[in-house]
Amino acid sequence: MDDFWFEFVEVTQSIGDGVLFGSTYALIGIGFTLIFGAMGKLNVAYAAAAMAGAYSSLAIYILFDAPLVVIFIVSAICAAILGYLVYLTCFRFIPVHNHLAALMASVGGLFFIDEVIVHATRGSPLAFPSMFSEAYFEVGPYGIRGDLLFVFFIGLISTGVLLYVLFRTRLGLATRAVAQQDVAARLCGMSIHLTNSTTFAVAGLLGGIAGAMTAAAVGILSPVMILPLTIKGLIVTVIGGLGSIPGAIIAGLFVGGFENVVMYFRGIDERDMYVVALLFIFLVFRPNGLFGKTITRD
Amino acid sequence: MIRRGTEKMKRVTRLVSTVVLAATVAMPLAASAADRSVKVLGWGAKSGPLKSFGVNSEAALRSAIAQINAAGGVKLGDGSSAPLEVISYEDSACKKDQNIAILRKTTSTTDAIVGMGATCSGSCQAMFGVLQKKVGDSSDSGVQMPILSDTCIRPGLAKISEWAFRNVPNEVAMYDKLFAWLRSENPDVKTFSGGTETDQGHSFITHTAIIVQAAVRHGFEWVGPSVPELGPKVKQGMKELQAAAKTQHWLMGDTNYSVQARKIKKQNPDMILVSSHPFSACGFLKEMKRQKVKPKLLVGLTSSASQETLNGCMSAAEGLIIPTGFAPITPEAVSANEIVSEAGGFLDLHSAAAWENAYLVKAAVEKAGISANSDTVAEDRRKFRDALASISESAGLIGPVTRDGATGEASKPYVYVQVVNGEWKVIHDPR
Repeated sequence: MDDFWFEFVEVTQSIGDGVLFGSTYALIGIGFTLIFGAMGKLNVAYAAAAMAGAYSSLAIYILFDAPLVVIFIVSAICAAILGYLVYLTCFRFIPVHNHLAALMASVGGLFFIDEVIVHATRGSPLAFPSMFSEAYFEVGPYGIRGDLLFVFFIGLISTGVLLYVLFRTRLGLATRAVAQQDVAARLCGMSIHLTNSTTFAVAGLLGGIAGAMTAAAVGILSPVMILPLTIKGLIVTVIGGLGSIPGAIIAGLFVGGFENVVMYFRGIDERDMYVVALLFIFLVFRPNGLFGKTITRD
Repeated sequence: MIRRGTEKMKRVTRLVSTVVLAATVAMPLAASAADRSVKVLGWGAKSGPLKSFGVNSEAALRSAIAQINAAGGVKLGDGSSAPLEVISYEDSACKKDQNIAILRKTTSTTDAIVGMGATCSGSCQAMFGVLQKKVGDSSDSGVQMPILSDTCIRPGLAKISEWAFRNVPNEVAMYDKLFAWLRSENPDVKTFSGGTETDQGHSFITHTAIIVQAAVRHGFEWVGPSVPELGPKVKQGMKELQAAAKTQHWLMGDTNYSVQARKIKKQNPDMILVSSHPFSACGFLKEMKRQKVKPKLLVGLTSSASQETLNGCMSAAEGLIIPTGFAPITPEAVSANEIVSEAGGFLDLHSAAAWENAYLVKAAVEKAGISANSDTVAEDRRKFRDALASISESAGLIGPVTRDGATGEASKPYVYVQVVNGEWKVIHDPR
């Protein structure tokens, strides 16, 4: 019985750790899904721009010894600017219905940003300041990392703000209108390019926070994080349902917990295999994800 | 009288003509001697996450060659001197196909007599595989180009081809001596556990087949089921070892180490082995610190004895002990360290080997007596290879490096370093 109890605590602890860390996946997933919801296109360079935002904020921290709050704000702003640039270079001038060209352009954007970071840092890992890194709460047999709890709450707050912007502001109204019927939105006087570029910038703001949060949670920034985060973000977006923000949040937390429990029982060698199998199962049996709606463009 | 004068005039004219002709013939020859250089071509990872390896090795190689040239260059077979010239330092990005492509291009389109560098063990293994296996084997159409590596550290790689040479530390000996010393210095340390990254061949194989085995050999007890000795079939032995030892695994790009750190915390070992490159080593060390895992001893992978580890996790790495083939502990090493720093690189165990390799090339060129002409490239490469194979000892930055011509491997001096107050300090010098 003792052995069972001990194992139970270990497994639930692993799930809890994973769910908390999954909030970083959720933040990245929200960015992917926001852009897909607005334009019906995947911006594969999103996570790279988010991490580039984190790198920019780290430069500010090193150069000016800026406080942590400033670092997170700078990361968000830089990622927003990068998001706008990605829109300009990879989407703005590509014909609307050429989805493949836009996708490939954003893949190019991903590798370009990655290489710029590698060249700027020599690929060397850099220590990233952490918030509450020493905070570790022990509740009975369980331990909870204070920094991951912080990431979790920031994720919730960011999502709340984003939902408010989408459903309670004119920008949100415009974004939804352009997403649903771009011709009608244009006839009503909305600028499609302005709306799309603003969506990229808003998604970039969120990505910058996610990038800084992820770096703070790991305690290090390295270019090797970019590709795994991109892949996890895309998996989260598909499982949550393309275009669904609540879906991205729940899928992010779910994938985080799922991969940790797989790692506990099967080890690292099989972890990603099961996560990708999960993606495959969703694509086959529930292609619209947990909360995605069938796309009904007029 | 007139006739005598004419004869004299003819003789003078003939003499002047001869001198002019001789000068005309000699001038291009003299010019070609002055223009000759002994060409080498380097390559390593200059992009991707392991970029620092290539950048540091290039800075070290170019700096050492500049120093050699400033001191007069190298002596050629005809007694003249010529400078060493790095034609180029290519980016192999730690990719097997790219390494092989650069090797083939270097061999067929350049006058380089040796290829230097190459970053990753897996890439070197693939690249050495396309070289001619045995020198002079006419039935083997493999590439005939000497390769002198500074970074590919996985044990036994140079035996793949007689054209392959390495100047990397012998990890088997380093860790064996390290654990013997740790055993004698820390009698209270009894148990150990650890983890490694499974997607990096060097980390995984060194951890499994060398580090864990050396620790067991010197009386440390693995936490959990007993670790079997590796059998004659190493692969089979490694599988047994992995199954029994419950080593924790992660990947180089992982961001979450909570499960692995918690499992090790549960084992509560006296000593923890972290066989990983700087990024994932730092991620794991930081997670251990968060979970308040405090072993009496912390031992790391040779490749992490670098500035990158301090950049990534100075505080979490405090106490980490690693054997390394370089530390600025001799006047030569201090001087080289300063020169390479000024050139924009860091000198660590790999880039220090690149520095030493430049001097090894000088020694081999002078021993081989090569001509360094464009029409004798193949002959020069062969002479250079034979000379390199015959060198049994060369000067290293922290002591003499002995070489085994039959295997192409080096035996380098090493020291043990530890992170103390955020800096690498030499804690033991077994030289």
